[in-house]
Amino acid sequence: MSRRYDPYDDGTQVARYIDRYPLSFTRTPLAPLVPRPLTLSEQTGPAAAELFSVGPMDLSRKAADAPKATGQLIQITGRITDEDGSPMPGAVIEIWQANSAGKYVHEMDHHNAPIDPNFTGEGRLVTDAEGQFQFFSIKPGAYPVLESGWWWRPPHIHFSILGRSWMDRFVTQIFFPGEPLNETDLLLNAVPDRDVRERLIFQFEGTSMGEVNAMGFRRDFVLRGRRQTPELD
Amino acid sequence: MVVSPYCTIGPFFPASFVEGHDDLTKYRGGVARGQHIVLSGRILQEGGVPTRNTILEIWQADSNGIFSSCTGADPGFSGWGRARTDAEGWYKIRTVMPGGYGDRCPHANLMILAIGLTRRLVTTVFFADDPDSVRDPVLDCVKDADARRRLFATRENAGQYRFDIVLRGEDETPFFLD
Repeated sequence: MSRRYDPYDDGTQVARYIDRYPLSFTRTPLAPLVPRPLTLSEQTGPAAAELFSVGPMDLSRKAADAPKATGQLIQITGRITDEDGSPMPGAVIEIWQANSAGKYVHEMDHHNAPIDPNFTGEGRLVTDAEGQFQFFSIKPGAYPVLESGWWWRPPHIHFSILGRSWMDRFVTQIFFPGEPLNETDLLLNAVPDRDVRERLIFQFEGTSMGEVNAMGFRRDFVLRGRRQTPELD
Repeated sequence: MVVSPYCTIGPFFPASFVEGHDDLTKYRGGVARGQHIVLSGRILQEGGVPTRNTILEIWQADSNGIFSSCTGADPGFSGWGRARTDAEGWYKIRTVMPGGYGDRCPHANLMILAIGLTRRLVTTVFFADDPDSVRDPVLDCVKDADARRRLFATRENAGQYRFDIVLRGEDETPFFLD
C-alpha cells in the first residue's frame, strides 16, 4: 500500500481516563491494545460520498424557504488534510449540535430546554477538490450534564469525518473561543498541552455584513495518514 | 502536520445518521451477492453492564473477499455499515459472510464509539468453524488462546451469528492499537 498510518500519539490526543467522568473508567479496556500489521482490509474504506446524501449546507433553516432558527448565525469553514498536508477531497463530514438553548433533538436529551421547531442541528456535507468545507448554523447553547450534578458543557459542535479509509475515520467536538465554561469542561481540559487544546477550539474569523450577517469561525482538521516512503516497501 | 485530537461521540449522535445503515445487503438499488447473515450481540462495559446508545461501525469485504473500493467488487454491497445499541446493549447488522482473500481469514473490521470513550476502539470479528485452526496475520497478534477465541463470532442458527463485545473487565474483547 502507498499510505502509512502510525498509531495516534497519546501526546496529541485527549486522555483516555478523565477524573470525575466515571464512564471513562468503566469502558476503557484494561488490557493493552494489541499492535497489528495494517493490511488491505484496514487501509481501505467506503467511497463515503456515495453512501449518503450530502450537499451544500445551511443548518440555520430546515429548507431554503423555511424560517430561520432562533439564535446567532454562524459560518463555519475549514479544510481537511492528511499528515503530509495534502488536501482530502470527497471526505464526508457529519455535523450535530445543540440548538441555541442547549437542547438536542435526541431521545437521550432530558434537559428541560426548548426544542426549536426550525432547527434539527444535524447535517452532512462533503469536502471540495481542495479539501475545504463550509456551512452555516446557529451558535449552540451550553447545557448541563444532568447525571453529573455539576458539569455544564460549553457550546460545541460535533464532527464525524469519513476520509480515505478505515484508519483515518475521525470523530471529535470543537469548542468556541472565549467561553467561560471552557475552563471547567472535563473533555476540553483532558489534554496534555496547550497546542492540543487549541486544536479543539474554533478560531474566530471575524464578522460578515451585507446579504449574510454572521460570525465566522474556522477549524482545520488533520486526519491520520501520510505517503509511504518507497524505501520502506 | 500534527493529527487532530479525537473526542467522544457523546450521547446525542443523531438517529438519522444511523437509520438505514444497519443493512449492508442492499446498496444503490442492488442486492448483495453471497450468503446474507445477521451479525448481532451485546456491547457491555465493566461488570457485564449493557451499554445503551453505543455506535458500532463495520467495514468488510464482499462475499468474494473484495473491498467495495477495489475493482471487481459486488456493486450491490457497500461494505460499510453502522448500528446503535438498544437499552439492553444489543446491536444488529445485516450483512454478507465476508470472503477471505490472500492470507486473511473471513473477517469484518469493527469500531466502537460511545460516551466515556474519548477515542474509538477498534477490533476485528472473525468467522470460522474451527477458530483454533485459523491463521491470520491480524488474529495471530493476539497471543492468549482465550482472548483469541473471543474474536470469533458464534454461529447460532443458519445465517445468524452472535458477537458480544466486552469493553472492559472479565472476558474483555481484544482491541487493537489504533
